[in-house]
Amino acid sequence: MSNDAVNQTRRRVLIGATCAVGAVGVVGAAVPFVGSWNPSAKAKAAGAPVKYNISKIEPGAMVTVEWRGKPVFIVRRTQAALDSLKKVEEQGVLLDANSDEPQQPDYAKNAERAINKEFAILLGVCTHLGCAPAFRPDVGAADLGGAKWQGGFFCPCHGSKYDLAGRVYVAVPAPLNLEVPPHRYESESIVVIGEDQGA
Amino acid sequence: MNWLVDLWQWVDKRLPVQRAWDTHMAKYYAPKNFNFWYFFGVLSLLVLVNQLVTGIWLTMSYNPSAEGAFASVEYIMRDVDYGWLLRYMHSTGASAFFIVVYLHMFRGMMYGSYKAPRELVWIFGMTIYLVLMAEAFMGYVLPWGQMSYWGAQVIVSLFGAIPGIGDDLVQWIRGDYLISGITLNRFFALHVVALPIVLLALVVMHILALHEVGSNNPDGVEIKKNKDENGIPRDGVPFHPFYTVHDLVGITVFLFAFCFIMFFMPEMGGFFLEYANFEEANNLKTPLHIAPVWYFTPFYAVLRAVTMPIEIGPLVLTAKLLGFAAMGAAIALLFVLPWLDRSKVKSMRYRGHIPRIMLIAFAAMFVVLGYLGVKAPTEGRTLLSQIATAFYFAYFLTMPVWTTTSPEKAKSKISWVLCGVFVVVFTWMGFEYIGGDVPVLLLILCFLLAAIFAVLPILAARDKDLVEPTRTQSKGLPALVVLAGLALFIILAVVPIKAVASEGAFNCGAIPCDHMEPDLNDKESLQRGAKYFANYCMGCHSAKYSRYERVADDLGIPHNLMEQNLIFGDQRIGQLMEIAMKPQQAKVWFGVVPPDLTLVARARSPEWLYTYLRNFYKDETRPWGVNNRVFPNVGMPHVLIGPQGLLECGAGPKLNHHGGALRNDVGQIEMDEHCGALKEGKIKGSMSAAEFDEAVYDVVNFLEYVAEPVAVKRQSMGYYVLGFLLILFVFVYFLNREFWRDIH
Repeated sequence: MSNDAVNQTRRRVLIGATCAVGAVGVVGAAVPFVGSWNPSAKAKAAGAPVKYNISKIEPGAMVTVEWRGKPVFIVRRTQAALDSLKKVEEQGVLLDANSDEPQQPDYAKNAERAINKEFAILLGVCTHLGCAPAFRPDVGAADLGGAKWQGGFFCPCHGSKYDLAGRVYVAVPAPLNLEVPPHRYESESIVVIGEDQGA
Repeated sequence: MNWLVDLWQWVDKRLPVQRAWDTHMAKYYAPKNFNFWYFFGVLSLLVLVNQLVTGIWLTMSYNPSAEGAFASVEYIMRDVDYGWLLRYMHSTGASAFFIVVYLHMFRGMMYGSYKAPRELVWIFGMTIYLVLMAEAFMGYVLPWGQMSYWGAQVIVSLFGAIPGIGDDLVQWIRGDYLISGITLNRFFALHVVALPIVLLALVVMHILALHEVGSNNPDGVEIKKNKDENGIPRDGVPFHPFYTVHDLVGITVFLFAFCFIMFFMPEMGGFFLEYANFEEANNLKTPLHIAPVWYFTPFYAVLRAVTMPIEIGPLVLTAKLLGFAAMGAAIALLFVLPWLDRSKVKSMRYRGHIPRIMLIAFAAMFVVLGYLGVKAPTEGRTLLSQIATAFYFAYFLTMPVWTTTSPEKAKSKISWVLCGVFVVVFTWMGFEYIGGDVPVLLLILCFLLAAIFAVLPILAARDKDLVEPTRTQSKGLPALVVLAGLALFIILAVVPIKAVASEGAFNCGAIPCDHMEPDLNDKESLQRGAKYFANYCMGCHSAKYSRYERVADDLGIPHNLMEQNLIFGDQRIGQLMEIAMKPQQAKVWFGVVPPDLTLVARARSPEWLYTYLRNFYKDETRPWGVNNRVFPNVGMPHVLIGPQGLLECGAGPKLNHHGGALRNDVGQIEMDEHCGALKEGKIKGSMSAAEFDEAVYDVVNFLEYVAEPVAVKRQSMGYYVLGFLLILFVFVYFLNREFWRDIH
């Protein structure tokens, strides 16, 4: 009897130990299968940070840069355009005038939602259902509220409106401000979209 | 915990889980005397699972189109995280599958596992083997390399040998007038969906049939004939836990060998991954030497062995048709093995001398055929393949003669006719080749075989099987007999191969290759190589499967330096290393499109590249004024003329076929006045010869790196995996010993 008891214990220990080592092996063998689902070098290259020379943009104009397959709007704001941001705020039509929602990196959480206030850098994806809003800098546009319209973005899909800092209006379907993508200035004229400032 | 038990009972009442477990594992009684050979069944299952899982993962990144297939395989090898590992697991697994299946089949032949009542087990197994060959063939087409393409071309064309419908059948299989993307697409569908389903179904049938009749064993004893009072076979042990822990030992050892190959030699010297397959399929250029993957080569050798047409009156059977028929028959004969073997005894342990020797000779001839199928045919090799093929058929067709239990039947008329046929075949073969360029040894073998078959009926009548025991034995054949058998196998396999092994041609064109050992850990050499490659090669050659960023990161080149010095034009660092030159323009300028060089070091050897780049010489007859001793009439100009200068032909020793200097009868070195050596010409290079050699070394080293950027990581990972398996082995070894200590 005692012999059997010893055997049982030894057996259990051996089974347990072998299972433990085997489990390590199974986890190890799973690594390549799980790991291969990460973005590949091709996907990473396509989604790599994009450099853009902003000195080429005319004042008041907007360019669209593609980053990770999405449009990024870069607007070179004139002084008048920057002044308009205050005016819209005073109208009281903005949902999140102080950018409290985390729709921008901390370094762009300011009145102009920008590192360099001359340039608005916004992800051109409407926060409602993902359409690309149109750039409508024409102040006083009749179809966008006449004299009250200070320039901004208008989403043609469901009528959402944003100001020139990408802040969303009230009483439109979109719930959030346009997102400010991570970006940094490599020099005064070169902006890198997709890399955080200080990174 | 109670609800878990309830749930379990709820399920078990509705689904026979417990019953299935008992039938196939916990109460399946397997003979307790399984030996080494009995691991290969479970190993086949293990490899099958590996193939299924890695295969599913590979399809996630593979692109089954003629345009994208080759690039997508390289995408898997380079860009997908661990993609290289998944691909090597799959490619090594394919060969491993055939290794274990061949050993599993040999086990069956050795211990008579095909004999009643296991005929269906054998037939399902043979069907699995057949489907596996189709599966492997179609899988090999998918990477869309040169061997994929031309292998498919040859194998599909085989069906053209069928009289009448052949050509239409071939066209129907291809779905095109040539092997094309259309063919690739249907092969992909069959490889990843249809055939795996068939395989799985057959494996289930194979196991169900086996578990119905019970396993055979090295003694050939039916353990079900001797049961105790509880109806449990006295010589059996429950499969679980006894054989589960036992198989773990075999599995661990197998995984060690498998991982060793996968991590340290995934190409297995060109047998598992053929070198020419690192070149993209080209329907206008056949590789110089084409051979199927090793697991098909025995049958491929049978196909090639048939070189004579048969004419019977108006009926002409072409050699092509007969070769195809012989190959088909060689496989078909395996199916009817259970009925060819007339012996009452199953295991070789209790068989007479003739069946034992015949089996060993058969295995040896199978290996010989496998070797010959890899090699380019010469006259000697053709004769050997004919001998081996004739023996292959003789083994099966005369089996009834030397396995019958009655001396009368052994000496019956049919026996004499069966053996007589092969006497005629071997004698005729021998006379046919007398005076030919074949080793005498093979002629002797021919006549020896004729003589043996001439007296075989008499020998068979005297040869007797031993008495089969009724209980399993603890010991097998004496070690001396086993070793003698092994020695006989090695002699029969190796001696004929050695007799026809001589290789004539050099590996580097007109000269032997210079030695060159890449060192992928020499970052400085690789960096210099990358620089030379960008400056001298990338004007015309792309490396379009590699990305600049990967090269920069692997070689330790800072990104900004890479962008400034090694990336031309407006390409970004994450992009593939493509070039601006259009293939159409290149064709006009050079006559051929300069090939992409990403994989050139895997398609050619580093030695070849190293020798090639250093052997340009002045030749006014060529369009660029240069020729090459390694690659005669090459379309490439001498790009490195700046550093090397332009060498000219000079006198040098003629070479014998070992690469040494050829000597005449009085021992003087014979000189080749035309181009025996290259010497410095009028145009001098900016580098000395030694500096230039080093520069070329760096370029080739870089090419070796870029052909398989993961090589260093692969090996270092391999050490960890092997280390882990060693630890695992200790545990499974003691676990197995613990369970088996009381089984005698």
